[in-house]
Amino acid sequence: MKISLDWLSDFVDWTDETAVLAARLTAAGLNVEGIEQINKTFPGVVVARVLEREKHPDADRLSLCKVDDGTGAPVQVVCGAPNVRAGLTVLFARVGAELPGDLRIKKSKIRGVESHGMICSAAELELSLDGAGIIELDTKLPNGTPADDLFGFKDTVLEVEVTPNRPDWLSHVGVAREVAAIYGTKMSLPPVFNAVQGGESLGVKVRVEHYADCGRYTAWGLQRVKIAPSPRWMQNRLLAIGARPINNVVDITNYVMFEMGQPLHAFDRGQLAGNAITVRRAPKNTSVQTLDGQTREVEAGTLMVCDEKGPVALAGVMGLGNSEVSEKTTEVLLESAFFNASLVRKASRRMGLISESSYRFERGADWDMVERAALRALQLLQEHAGARIVPDWADRHDPDHRPADPLPLRVWQVNRVLGTAVNTGQVAQILQRLGLKVQPMGNAESISAGAVNMMVQVPSHRRDLLMEVDLIEEIARIHGLDQLTGRGGYRVPGGAVRRPQDVARDRLRGWLSSCGYTEIVTSSFMEAGDHDKLALAADDARRATLAVVNPRHGGDTQLRTVLAPSALAVSRRNLNAGATPPLRFFQINRVFRPGQPLGRDTRHADEALLPAEHEYVQVIVAGWRDTGLGGLPCDLLEIRGTVEAMAGHLRLPLTLEAGTDESWLDAGAAWSVRAADGRVVGVAGRVAPGVLAAFDVDGPVALAEVRLDDLDLTPAPARFEPFTRFPAVKRDLSLLVPAEVAYGQIRDTVDSSGGPFLESSELFDFYRGKGVPEGQAAFGIRLKFRSPKGSLTGETVDAAIGEILTALKDRWAIDPRG
Amino acid sequence: MQEMIDRLRSEASAATAAAGDDAALEAVRVAVLGRKGSLTALLRGLKDLDEAARREAGAALNVLKEEISAVIEARQAELGGDRPAASSGLDLTLPGRAPAPIGSRHPLLTVLENICDIFHGMGFSRDEGPEVELDYYNFTALNFPDDHPARDIQDTFYFNDKVLLRTQTSPVQVRMMERREPPLACIFPGRVYRNENADASHSSEFFQVEGLVVDRSVSMADLKDTVDTFVRNFFGASAPTRFRPHYFPFTEPSVEVDMQCILCGGKGCGVCKQSGWLEIMGAGMVHPNVFKAAGYPDDRYTGFAFGMGIDRIAMLKYGITDIRLLYENDLRFLNQFRGVQ
Ligand SMILES: [Zn+2]
Repeated sequence: MKISLDWLSDFVDWTDETAVLAARLTAAGLNVEGIEQINKTFPGVVVARVLEREKHPDADRLSLCKVDDGTGAPVQVVCGAPNVRAGLTVLFARVGAELPGDLRIKKSKIRGVESHGMICSAAELELSLDGAGIIELDTKLPNGTPADDLFGFKDTVLEVEVTPNRPDWLSHVGVAREVAAIYGTKMSLPPVFNAVQGGESLGVKVRVEHYADCGRYTAWGLQRVKIAPSPRWMQNRLLAIGARPINNVVDITNYVMFEMGQPLHAFDRGQLAGNAITVRRAPKNTSVQTLDGQTREVEAGTLMVCDEKGPVALAGVMGLGNSEVSEKTTEVLLESAFFNASLVRKASRRMGLISESSYRFERGADWDMVERAALRALQLLQEHAGARIVPDWADRHDPDHRPADPLPLRVWQVNRVLGTAVNTGQVAQILQRLGLKVQPMGNAESISAGAVNMMVQVPSHRRDLLMEVDLIEEIARIHGLDQLTGRGGYRVPGGAVRRPQDVARDRLRGWLSSCGYTEIVTSSFMEAGDHDKLALAADDARRATLAVVNPRHGGDTQLRTVLAPSALAVSRRNLNAGATPPLRFFQINRVFRPGQPLGRDTRHADEALLPAEHEYVQVIVAGWRDTGLGGLPCDLLEIRGTVEAMAGHLRLPLTLEAGTDESWLDAGAAWSVRAADGRVVGVAGRVAPGVLAAFDVDGPVALAEVRLDDLDLTPAPARFEPFTRFPAVKRDLSLLVPAEVAYGQIRDTVDSSGGPFLESSELFDFYRGKGVPEGQAAFGIRLKFRSPKGSLTGETVDAAIGEILTALKDRWAIDPRG
Repeated sequence: MQEMIDRLRSEASAATAAAGDDAALEAVRVAVLGRKGSLTALLRGLKDLDEAARREAGAALNVLKEEISAVIEARQAELGGDRPAASSGLDLTLPGRAPAPIGSRHPLLTVLENICDIFHGMGFSRDEGPEVELDYYNFTALNFPDDHPARDIQDTFYFNDKVLLRTQTSPVQVRMMERREPPLACIFPGRVYRNENADASHSSEFFQVEGLVVDRSVSMADLKDTVDTFVRNFFGASAPTRFRPHYFPFTEPSVEVDMQCILCGGKGCGVCKQSGWLEIMGAGMVHPNVFKAAGYPDDRYTGFAFGMGIDRIAMLKYGITDIRLLYENDLRFLNQFRGVQ
């Protein structure tokens, strides 16, 4: 919303300079976002008369003129406008004049003839959008009078941000009220018309079908209207606030709306069928042509203003083309009404049609302004459109309409909410400055929890004030929020304890980033087709997604049910950007699973409509093509190691078990991650080559993910256990192992056959190839023996090793090497 | 004397610059600063001067000595920095081996955690709510009238009439109050959504931290204190905050909180649009209708709430000019936050 200070000063006085006024309005809640200086001036442009006009000797379309610009000698000038002729009073730009758009007038030769200046069109002076010809002035001002005297204009315009609760600020009068409240001065409303002219009657009957839809409808008649441009000052003000002047009737309705906040509509009375106006809902879907020339579908139930033939306006939104004021209009029916906010909003939403009128009605009109604004418009129409006002007018309003009930106010509550120490007198004074009527109650000075100190009557333009707390906000605004002084900060009794999941997430972030993983934040939306690319089975429950019904233009609509596509997209992006592999990423993010149990207590019956939100930690290694121990890919080794270390780091008993039925992992290179109770809480492994190809990732990707919200993240408690101080005996086993035997099987056999003193076994070497027989591998395993009772003898250890070797031989046909 | 000092200065710097290796540089050092060096000779010559001249020239020579030493040292660094220790022959300039490569936390979540830490220190506990929300919790219970322009402030992604992507973290307020009786002091961080097209300062997904305090008698002055304490702790500056009246349906009175621009100190710059102020959060006193929705008895409690956009704060803090960088997951961006906790 733009506010012209020139216009505002019609209603209120202030002494501060603009910047201070802006700061004070901002401090009161009317945020001034910008200050624009308008200075329309035309240096070197003067009133002049065309003395002679002849054809240019060498150009058909040009004229050669002599003008009197008040300097004495006639000035020769070439003019291209078709309407130039002797005797015209024009605006003449002398040599040296400066025109809008940095145009400087110079002496020139046009087709061989000297030209000393320029006769101006309205477009060249940016006085109108119409550039058809030169301006023909109707003035008796002497030649040489500066154009500034006629068209010069200075103003300062505030760009203000009006919050939806303050429709009263959508007008100059409303802002004037605020300025008056801030400065403690008085404001005056625009003058209104009260003399009635003319003898004929309005002859129009108004019917309102439901007062709930339209609390009040007034119609006013004007005759002998002369459609013409509106006066220059009005055009200037409209232009200053960004509105486009059209003609006097339309400009005046707009002017009054920007001035007083009440939208008005002017019908061409001659185009209205019959003598009745009805405000009613559209009985069925219809199509209409609105003032902007577009044909629009109107849904049944939309509130319409109709004549005896049909709709002539979408109530409160926009008039229709069939009754539009045009150059031929001579009789006008002026509408000023109070339409239901919600109905106007619905109509405006449905049709995607937001007008200055609908914007105001949907925020709430001012009941008392309906009549006053109409009278103001009548006065302006009489003055500037030559209109004759018919003596009677139609007024239908809800007989049950009442002003708002007064609100009780407790000063005790004011101070409780604001933390202030204001007294009853201060409170009353602030409210009165805002134009509210205050009625003292009981003992006005008694400040206690139950004491109502005053009843406050809210005027019709402040229907946002509905309860005590709304008044408290007014007091805070005007008292000044910079007056608040606290008690040193609120401290909650008892302090706060961190939740295990917050601790775990924070530790995961810290630890994974220390391990070389880079955290990513990925979108909650997935791309259509991601599930197919992941090769999810047709009956996979994760194919059920929630889809947004009103997505951004071209945006994704489905919420993700799997994190994997985002991991692949980030890998692809960075590999393609040339980052040096291996790339390591992690994310802690949610997926959305409709129809799954929520896993939280619910209060609202509709919560069953919500999806379960599962939170995963996912670690990703991308682009690593090397192999490591046992010929295993390095990324696979690292992913496994990371999950195991993560479990250790969080003190959670997670275990990996070879194999998964996850469709997008390579079945031969993946694990299931199980919690202590055996539930599968995640997966780890290499992404299947087909899936990599589908996501266009150039390089291997291994990843692991664990669902965090499904785990008790309370770390296993630490408890000291006594340890033995006797020395350990270390022995290395070197084994020849048939290819089909897995390390895990050897480890289990060693651990189960090693006897009571075997403390640990650890793989330290693995080799296949030269020097090892075909079909076999060499394993190096380090064993540690220890007894809590004393040093172990060589014989005891040898016996244990004998047991282990026997077991390995019996179960797996494994021999010691060499 | 001054003439000699000047000449020596220029000769010594020229010789230093010309020295192509350590040995040559050492020769220069000996020739000027050594026991038989030219500067040492000048110092010796001081004794022949009268006392006043001696004091003056002595001071000048000492300054020169420092200068030349510094020039030689600088040249030495240029020639090779760390040199192999003559004694071991080990090349100590070789790169070290880190126990693990260096990764990073995402700057958005770093800021989010930092904010939560500060409030934790002030006694606030932490909770989260669902990102897919009921219209009821996101709007109705927060005193957004049905079919009211207040809803236009936030363009909303809908799944159906009742289910949407939350546009703010505020619905967690109601969920918390439904479950617990005051006193309450909580923060609710999380992801929120707006149905708008992305540009340098808008993203359809972004992060907020919401705060809520409810007790028998907390006031707007307490809110001001809490906000000031947070700003002091987070931004380090003793910058004052400014409360501007505003409108949010779920608080009354409502304010927007500005802090003095951290980039220009309030003088006005491009980032603060010459105003000297940066808007950092919305806040206010919990609206009685919200207490009603939560099932609290009328008038028993007062409370305050505040909410801030993490993206904007992260952008201010790290000088990030385009919000989309935060969601592109490009390593050239993320790697710049290594070690940022
Ligand atoms: Zn600044």
